[in-house]
Amino acid sequence: MGSDMGLIVKTMARATIPLIGIFGAYVVAHGHLTPGGGFQGGATIAGAGILFLIAFGLNEAKTRINKNLYSALEGVGGLVFLIAGMLGLGVAFFYNTLWHNGPIFNGEPGTLLSAGYLPIMNLAVGLKVYTGLVSAVFAMALFRRWRK
Amino acid sequence: MTLPFLIIIPLFGAFSMPIISLFGKKLKEYWALIISGATLGVAAKIFYTVWKTNEIILYTLGSESPIGKGVKFPIRIVWEVDLLGALLALTITFVGFLAVLYSLGYMKHDTGLEKYYTLILILELGMLGIVITGDIFNFYVFLEIMSIASYALVAFRNDTWEGIEAGIKYMFVGSVASSFILLGIALLYGQYGTLTMSYLSLKIAENPTIVAKVALAFFIGGLLFKSGAVPVHMWLADAHPAAPSSISAMLSGLVIKAGGVYAVARIVFSIFNPGLHAYLKAFNMPSINMEAVGWVIVFFACLTLLIGNAMAVVQTDMKRLFAFSSVGQIGYILLGIGIGTLAYGSRAGELALAGAIYHIVNHALIKALLFFVAGAVIHEVGTKNLNELSGLARKMPMTTLAFIIGAAAIIGLPPLNGFASKWIIYESSAMYNPILAAIAVVGTVFSLAAYTRVLFTFLGRESEKVKSAKEPEMSMLIPMLILVVAIVVMGLLPWQINDKIMLPTARMLEQLNGEYMVALLKFLGGA
Amino acid sequence: MIPLQFVTAFLMIFMGIYAFLYKRNLIKLILALNLIDAGIHLLLISLGYRLENGVLPTAPIYTGYETLKGTPMVGPIPQALVLTSIVIGVCVLSLAMALTINAYRHYGTLDVNKLRRLRG
Repeated sequence: MGSDMGLIVKTMARATIPLIGIFGAYVVAHGHLTPGGGFQGGATIAGAGILFLIAFGLNEAKTRINKNLYSALEGVGGLVFLIAGMLGLGVAFFYNTLWHNGPIFNGEPGTLLSAGYLPIMNLAVGLKVYTGLVSAVFAMALFRRWRK
Repeated sequence: MTLPFLIIIPLFGAFSMPIISLFGKKLKEYWALIISGATLGVAAKIFYTVWKTNEIILYTLGSESPIGKGVKFPIRIVWEVDLLGALLALTITFVGFLAVLYSLGYMKHDTGLEKYYTLILILELGMLGIVITGDIFNFYVFLEIMSIASYALVAFRNDTWEGIEAGIKYMFVGSVASSFILLGIALLYGQYGTLTMSYLSLKIAENPTIVAKVALAFFIGGLLFKSGAVPVHMWLADAHPAAPSSISAMLSGLVIKAGGVYAVARIVFSIFNPGLHAYLKAFNMPSINMEAVGWVIVFFACLTLLIGNAMAVVQTDMKRLFAFSSVGQIGYILLGIGIGTLAYGSRAGELALAGAIYHIVNHALIKALLFFVAGAVIHEVGTKNLNELSGLARKMPMTTLAFIIGAAAIIGLPPLNGFASKWIIYESSAMYNPILAAIAVVGTVFSLAAYTRVLFTFLGRESEKVKSAKEPEMSMLIPMLILVVAIVVMGLLPWQINDKIMLPTARMLEQLNGEYMVALLKFLGGA
Repeated sequence: MIPLQFVTAFLMIFMGIYAFLYKRNLIKLILALNLIDAGIHLLLISLGYRLENGVLPTAPIYTGYETLKGTPMVGPIPQALVLTSIVIGVCVLSLAMALTINAYRHYGTLDVNKLRRLRG
């Protein structure tokens, strides 16, 4: 058995992966307005990555997924989250200075550019969760070759 | 305000580790060293501040005041650092720094080191979070961060069956214990509608229902699991020997303290204050019977210190012996906390708490030293079986010296630091109930037997395996020597340390005037 | 009277504990852990749910709209707690699966009673 699925699955995956990705990106970007947020959106996008891994097989995924890049991106997500939390350190850790003092993300509540650091944090968490979950599942898939 | 940097610095180090490791092979090790050193500096500053002013630091996340707009109760996450938290933070960062330094030489031959250093920083972060937090759900989150990092570190060498089996056992037991703690938090939240520890203690005193008692039972049960008290200590004896030695030092020295006995002390004294409930009882108001809780802790403590030390005698594996000895020493600490609960407000209770806190610090240093010694022996000789290790003293004199100091200190010989803390625990338990003191002394006798055996092995006739052994490299020797110096110096000034640091810490934990609550109530105004 | 969802939550917790004590397959043990967690999450979530005058509460998204309409919101804090707890659960789950795969590689079995080589 090859490591990839048949033609039907591949075609369906090609069609649905972008949709899943876009929906996940929507959930991440509207995290401060609707139910959901960084973790849920990131997990949704990671679903697209896992679908890619299952449908196209491990060998194809190996050429597309760079492990070092993913773990570096995971670190970047965490760092952005931390820096967003540190912006208001003059008052307190996690003080939402962008929302109180501007200059960006301080619009009318309920609009996209509001809620201070929350959109930034959602994006960072989304990146971290996506890269982390894909790396975890990818690492588990690599385990299949334990009998040498 | 330096307090948030205690969390920010290790978090920054952990997140930047994958990026740093792309730039160079040796860079990540020095990066971990710099980060843990900086954390040590911050912790020392915080400890000095709290000790000097003798006041609880209350830090609110996200705002100036923990009180919500237009309401009269705290809605934000607070960090509340008293002397006990600051002292433990200092100990954690000190031993953590030495463990990272030790890893430079010890983990040289392993792969995947950037993950190792990330996990070790996250482990440190989780413990620091536990000791500074004043919010009970925040406590759970940090507890889980610590636990997950330590499960992963126990199973770090996943090409050996030892690490995997120990990791699986540790993980299942630890996860169930965490679930118990979460259930306790859920029950308390459902009953009282708040998560801030100091406000929760007020709410519980106002209306102590059966739900609070059930939640307390879940907390004590889960935390005894986590600290490795006797009926549930088997995971500890498997997990601590199977981990790499630098990690064993952190697990035995710090994790079972920060995530176990420290949390027991915090929950018993800061959320369910024995004094408050004794006061309520005196006026015939509904209260929680904290004396029963104290006896439960004392019962498990006696069981733990007897069985833990007795099991240590029959081990042939050096690291397993040290792990069982850790179980025994946890018994002493729990005994101190239990007597502190029972004899709340009296001289005996204060002394017992001071002894328990002193022993937490001492045991962290001593057990770290002993596991470093075990690691050096494994690194140089390649075995930890005591029957094959005789005659190390001639080949590795410095390591043997470090071992002798550590063993003497953990048994409690007079010029070393273990003596002072054990003496205070014996003295206070004799003041409360002489039978408890007798049990504690019996435990020490077992401990003496166990360590004497290892000592004779080290000094005995040279065996085949030891012939080619030599001293470990400098990066492994230096942490051991630093710990030896710390143990000897702390041993030379025992009563000064006790009077200047440990007794104020015990008083602040006991909070006879409700300092822990007052720190929060200041923000409400008037109260 | 005790609300039905509390009964269900505790039933789930006890089912999880039963499975944890009496099952031997590692995968089933992981499921048992998740069952315990799910029960606690159900308990927490139902703590934040309240009916006011028979009106169903809405999601806790504060935009000013709900207060105008006068409908109650469910408590937001339990939802935040459960979300955090779910994220932690995902971490534990993935670590447990990784360890289980490793255990199968070393022992050739998923029976937890066979994982008994550490002794002493």
